[in-house]
Amino acid sequence: MTEKKATRDRDPNFAYYMDLLSHDVVNNNQAVLGYLELILASGGLDKKARKYAEKAVSHIRTSTILVDNVKRLMITRDMDPADFKPVDLMVAMNRAEREVTRMFPDKSFNVKLPSDAAEMKIIGDGAAEDLILNMMVTMVWLDPSETITLVLKTSETEVKGKKFWQITLEDPTARMPKMAVDRPLEDAFKADSSIAVKVVGMLFCKMISEMLGGGFEVHELNKKADPRGAAFVATLRKAGGQ
Amino acid sequence: MTSVLIVDDELFIVELYRDILQLRGYRIVGTAFDGEEAVRKYNTNPEKPDVVIMDHRMPVMNGVQATKEILRMNPKQKVIFVSADVMVEKEAREAGAIEFLPKPFRMDDLIEKMQKVAAQ
Repeated sequence: MTEKKATRDRDPNFAYYMDLLSHDVVNNNQAVLGYLELILASGGLDKKARKYAEKAVSHIRTSTILVDNVKRLMITRDMDPADFKPVDLMVAMNRAEREVTRMFPDKSFNVKLPSDAAEMKIIGDGAAEDLILNMMVTMVWLDPSETITLVLKTSETEVKGKKFWQITLEDPTARMPKMAVDRPLEDAFKADSSIAVKVVGMLFCKMISEMLGGGFEVHELNKKADPRGAAFVATLRKAGGQ
Repeated sequence: MTSVLIVDDELFIVELYRDILQLRGYRIVGTAFDGEEAVRKYNTNPEKPDVVIMDHRMPVMNGVQATKEILRMNPKQKVIFVSADVMVEKEAREAGAIEFLPKPFRMDDLIEKMQKVAAQ
């Protein structure tokens, strides 16, 4: 019996209850989001009140992504790697750009996507799409600027005879948490959760990348600059790249 | 004025849609809290809505099943499917829903879909 099957057999209702609970959270988030939009559209808000409402919109959208992440980890954990379907990297990046722009109405964005129109397929189903979105959202939370520049780059790489796509996300004005700079990301799994919570977005990206048979790394962009900026690098299996 | 039937098992979601749609000039002709109630109301109400807003995960009868039943009665009925379950989109479209919105969505997105569907 595989470890995954043993887990499923032990808790046959666990995923079901998690799904029900997260469904309720999303419904409540929908109501909060809808009424915030009504408040924003009603007029008569001063500039400060509008800013507060826009920030609340960002947080409610983030809350939904966090719930989705919990569900995604559970689904991905129970999946057989052979069942992951290919997804189009360009489509995933475009979707993430749209989502992020919508999530943070109080910020403006300059997102640079790769211009290469060549077909880029990665293995990972919806988990890979969520990963790209989470890389962007996590980066935005690291950047206090009003205007944020996000640069996505892709390149092919080969490890032990297997082909991968490497996706690099850069933000020159992001501020990497000290913990992610001083220590390997793996340490966050073992560290005090009050510290690890600062890198939880990066940890999610790392966990999903590894579940998909790839990897995830973070580093500062320019140690001589202030702010130093940040770069996330996800490596994901190329479809048909065995 | 475009008329709407709202189907969702959560009262607060029904109220949200009603508040927003009425503000935007839509006429609510009915609400239902499960698929079976939706089918029954659709069947018995002589005035058919221009658009049905349909949730999926509901007691008694889910949204996909209710959509199929309504379209069996009236193949031209326009159904906008809304759900927190993105996995159900394919099933909803196969059942006959002409639009799908994953929750949570912006109310402007719902209005945009309503306008598009009503104009078809």
